[in-house]
Amino acid sequence: MTTQVLSETMPNATRFSVRTALQNAGIGLALLALILFFSVFTEHFLTPNNITNILTQITINLVLAVGMTFVILIGGIDLSVGSVMAFAAVVAGKAITLPGFGPAEAIALAVVAATLTGVACGMINGVISAYWALPSFIITLGMLNIARGAALQVSEAQTIYSFPYAFEEFGSAMIYGVPVVFLVALLLVLVAWFVLNFTVFGRLLYGIGNNEEAVRLAGHSVYWYKVAAFTICGFTAGIAAIVYMARLNISSPIAGIGFELNAIAAVIIGGTSLSGGRGSVIGTLLGAFIIGVLANGLILIGLSDFMRQMITGVVIIVAVVLDHYRAKYASK
Amino acid sequence: MKLLKIAAAAATGLALLAGTAQADDKPVVGLIMKSLANEFFQNMMAGAQAHEEKRGDYKLLAVGMQNETDFESQINAVENFITQGVDAIVVAPADSRAMVRPLKKAMEAGIVVVNFDVALDAEAKKQQNIELAFVGPDNRGGAKLAGDALGKKLGAGGKVVIIEGNPGADNANERRLGFEDSVAEFELELLDSRTAHWETEEANTVFSNMLTAHPDIQGVMAANDSMAIGVVKALESAGRDDIIVVGFDNIPAVSPMISDGRMLATVDQFGTDMAANSIDLALEVVKGGPQLEGWVKTPIELVVAN
Amino acid sequence: MAAASLAIMPQTTESPAFLSVQGLKKHFGGVKALDGVSFSLLKGEVHALVGENGAGKSTLIKILSGVFPYDSGSISLAGEEYRPANPHVAKELGVQVVHQEFNLLDHLSIAENISVERMPTTRLGLLDRQEMNRRARLALDAVGLTDVDVKAPVSSLGIAHRQLVEISRALQSKSRILILDEPTATLTERETRRLFDIIESIRADGVTIVFVSHHLEEVFAICDRVTVFRNGISIGTDRISETTPDGVVRKMVGRQLAATANEADPKRTPGEVALRLDAICTQANPKDKGVSFDLRYGEIVGIAGLVGAGRTEILRGIFGVDPLRSGRILQAGTEIRFAGPRDAIAAGIGFVTEDRKDEGLILDMPIAANMSLANMRAISRTGLLQFSEENRRTREGGARLKLKYGKISDAVSSLSGGNQQKVVLAKWLGRNPKVLLLDEPTRGVDVGAKAEIYAILKDLARDGVALLVVSSEMPELMTLADRILVLAEHEIQGELTRPEFSEENILKLAYGQVRQAGGQTQ
Ligand SMILES: Nc1ncnc2c1ncn2[C@@H]1O[C@H](COP(=O)(O)OP(=O)(O)OP(=O)(O)O)[C@@H](O)[C@H]1O
Ligand SMILES: [Mg+2]
Repeated sequence: MTTQVLSETMPNATRFSVRTALQNAGIGLALLALILFFSVFTEHFLTPNNITNILTQITINLVLAVGMTFVILIGGIDLSVGSVMAFAAVVAGKAITLPGFGPAEAIALAVVAATLTGVACGMINGVISAYWALPSFIITLGMLNIARGAALQVSEAQTIYSFPYAFEEFGSAMIYGVPVVFLVALLLVLVAWFVLNFTVFGRLLYGIGNNEEAVRLAGHSVYWYKVAAFTICGFTAGIAAIVYMARLNISSPIAGIGFELNAIAAVIIGGTSLSGGRGSVIGTLLGAFIIGVLANGLILIGLSDFMRQMITGVVIIVAVVLDHYRAKYASK
Repeated sequence: MKLLKIAAAAATGLALLAGTAQADDKPVVGLIMKSLANEFFQNMMAGAQAHEEKRGDYKLLAVGMQNETDFESQINAVENFITQGVDAIVVAPADSRAMVRPLKKAMEAGIVVVNFDVALDAEAKKQQNIELAFVGPDNRGGAKLAGDALGKKLGAGGKVVIIEGNPGADNANERRLGFEDSVAEFELELLDSRTAHWETEEANTVFSNMLTAHPDIQGVMAANDSMAIGVVKALESAGRDDIIVVGFDNIPAVSPMISDGRMLATVDQFGTDMAANSIDLALEVVKGGPQLEGWVKTPIELVVAN
Repeated sequence: MAAASLAIMPQTTESPAFLSVQGLKKHFGGVKALDGVSFSLLKGEVHALVGENGAGKSTLIKILSGVFPYDSGSISLAGEEYRPANPHVAKELGVQVVHQEFNLLDHLSIAENISVERMPTTRLGLLDRQEMNRRARLALDAVGLTDVDVKAPVSSLGIAHRQLVEISRALQSKSRILILDEPTATLTERETRRLFDIIESIRADGVTIVFVSHHLEEVFAICDRVTVFRNGISIGTDRISETTPDGVVRKMVGRQLAATANEADPKRTPGEVALRLDAICTQANPKDKGVSFDLRYGEIVGIAGLVGAGRTEILRGIFGVDPLRSGRILQAGTEIRFAGPRDAIAAGIGFVTEDRKDEGLILDMPIAANMSLANMRAISRTGLLQFSEENRRTREGGARLKLKYGKISDAVSSLSGGNQQKVVLAKWLGRNPKVLLLDEPTRGVDVGAKAEIYAILKDLARDGVALLVVSSEMPELMTLADRILVLAEHEIQGELTRPEFSEENILKLAYGQVRQAGGQTQ
């Protein structure tokens, strides 16, 4: 036995540093392999324009996936994010096209409307599933329908359009070729990373995902932490709605159908455990990149739609299976 | 998902009960629509309701669906209408084959059936041994109108791509075929053809990537206007104003784009009136007029900047 | 092959080792869990494995049962090389194990758990529920759980009952070797004695039994030979008849244990009443009478009783885990109502829970995160974690309890059972509670560490903390407590003061022989 009763000081010893690093390295390698593959086999993949495109295209999914990471970390799931995003976009669309406001005020109003809508939906998800200890799968499935119905109701199933010019500007603005909306998403990732790793709140979310009872017996209000996780997820759906509006300059009540599955895929590919308690938002970032790079690269290669769909499915499964083995070796 | 369908069916049943409770001697028309989440059918429904009020000599019972592929609740609706003993059923089928058998049952019950928007499958009709006219626009012809507009502008050798609707949907197929007719006629070069599932954001993404793969694209044919909007946005962010876009449906959101030239054309199939027109035709037959036959084409029109 | 069958080997006559382990090594990352273990089992013997926490006992058992592969060395079973690829293979070869940490499926019924390895089927291939329940009934009766319903879910059982269910499950299959890893840690006297009877009877059938325990008196009561482990090495095997408990302890720790300071315990003077329980009844309590007593600052009150007597219930009721059905709790004269553990902690109460796997620890999280779980405020400022402070406190807490670990960032699941228990203790000690509730605080902790923990708890009492200790180990209660309340059938049967302490007195009360009304104290 070589262990000592007193070990040497480890920097940041309390985080899952080694394991998380390995986990991310695994997914990072998969991403690198994809990038390498597409760079070799397509002409335009590595061009600045295409990189800008990819960044734009993964933004919405990334924003949704950041919120989803919180929910999955506590062992929950949120199936409603796509619908909530559409609902938030429609509410914000109504707000931004209200007569009698200057462009700046209208935009501010829209941002507030979208985030509040998202936060409200997320909070309802959280309160109901945490208070009655019901599976979030079914509660958020209910919310999926409620929010979609509400979006159609509010918009009367019409696409809302003609937003202020400044809003369009924001949607297509670049800084050194990097879309501003992507930078917003990246900022969210950084904030989430900080919160999950450096705050009491984040620590307890991991704890709840692993052993809720132990956290409760240690005197923490599990209920509020759960509500908070769902609320954050709703909030990011609201942000995603704004990104959607700025990028496309419309609000469509049928936007975001199936987005929840892409967001969940990004989180799981990123190494977060569906049963909760393990994972990282950096992994989610890489997971969103994998999905986005794949979608982009397969079109550049010229694969037919149906083949593309099949290969996307295969890559998701392979990524997760590989990750399983890598995690096993990492823990040895 | 099953649960939702049952709920939807139950809701349909309730609507029907409520409907017959106050029915008087006026003929009753059952209208079965596709997804009311779709702007197009939403408008159509509004048109039908306005029509009922205006004519005032019939009673309208309208039913919609959860989504585009939910044909189970359409079948339930037909069966409920038969039980209620309506005089006519006017239906936009979600599936051109699945609906044939229940509609046959309705016809056998002496109900006048009018099929509009999407034609029932000819093969299936023959199998069930029924004759049923189709009232609707020529999606293929309409798409060709838009495609021709683009073809004329580009001339032979113009490089184009198609953004398709949901794979497997009949109108998506028809529109793609119409675009392909134009491609052949004007000797255009078709670089790529992909689905964006009728959706703006997906069209934006898919088209951006197509543009990367083929920077020399000159024209885009989108199977609906929602997707055309996504294409226009992609062109804006790529800083390209040399590529011509045509769409389909003439939704309000594209009219500014057509007037300022970001889109060349779209096609109006007067969806608002389509259900109403079909109801007129059905009532005609109910009153003893001749049976409808073949394809009763409804008007379509190319919309360009004036 | 041909040569071997031609050569007629003479049968070895002297009774050879039935299972023999030579130079076994196993490491986890940088931790050498086993660093050269050799010992042998004779057919039909009861063989004890003893050693300090983290010495490698459970690791050896997991290797024997096919949970882990080994790095080097050799094992032979009945003369053939033994290298089980997985637990199933080991079972097929007749090696049955009851692990230290439980492996029951919480949401299934007891009967389903017992039959999970081989479900009985009807002729049509359907699950034969009747047969399953019948077998389970027999199995439970055999371990003395006659009053437990086989259809109840495992989650409804207390920890001792779960242990017994695990044992009865292992007894289901035909075994040549039965390995019990600390089976008595959660049992009270009565169940332990019952278990010994079972062990005697299956030994009579020729089964070899491996028995792990930190209670040397148990080892000396039932075993034939004992192998001592220290730091991953086997120190040696002795016949029980040729050694003494002191000799075993000396081998375990590698030195003479300092005489425990138990007797020279300076008198504590209890202070104010910390908590007054007035006929409290939790929802789990089927009786209406409730439990009443005072707990004072500066005293240690022990609660004794058999499994199922309602001991844990009281602690959960006080801590606000289970809501009270009736009765009141008073603190400093005013009634308090805890909506949950959060309120109890705010009122200065701590609770070392019994079931460390489900309630006490987050197994997959680092040692440090577990230690600070109940004390987040101390290691954070405005919601931000202060890692250096957390690390400092963790190392301090670990040193105080002689915790044996690799790095404080290692997951708690990598610790040995006894060391996991120390983490649970450290978590609550770090909070400096005014009232500390402890449920089986030294479960699975070795002799040396136990003494340290007793000293710490006594120090706390001397500093004015009120301690309420539930334990199935009577010596533990008699060492620690100023007075012992004995519980049976969810009611206090009597109270013993120090001069009255004896196992006999406790047991009398625990078996429901209520003292005469008036309870004359001599
Ligand atoms: N899965 C694992 N990963 C890393 N280290 C481990 C693992 N399992 C055991 N160890 C280490 O191996 C050593 C021996 O542990 P083991 O569980 O065999 O001890 P033990 O003798 O059973 O102790 P106890 O009496 O406390 O149950 C300990 O230092 C422990 O931390
Ligand atoms: Mg052990």
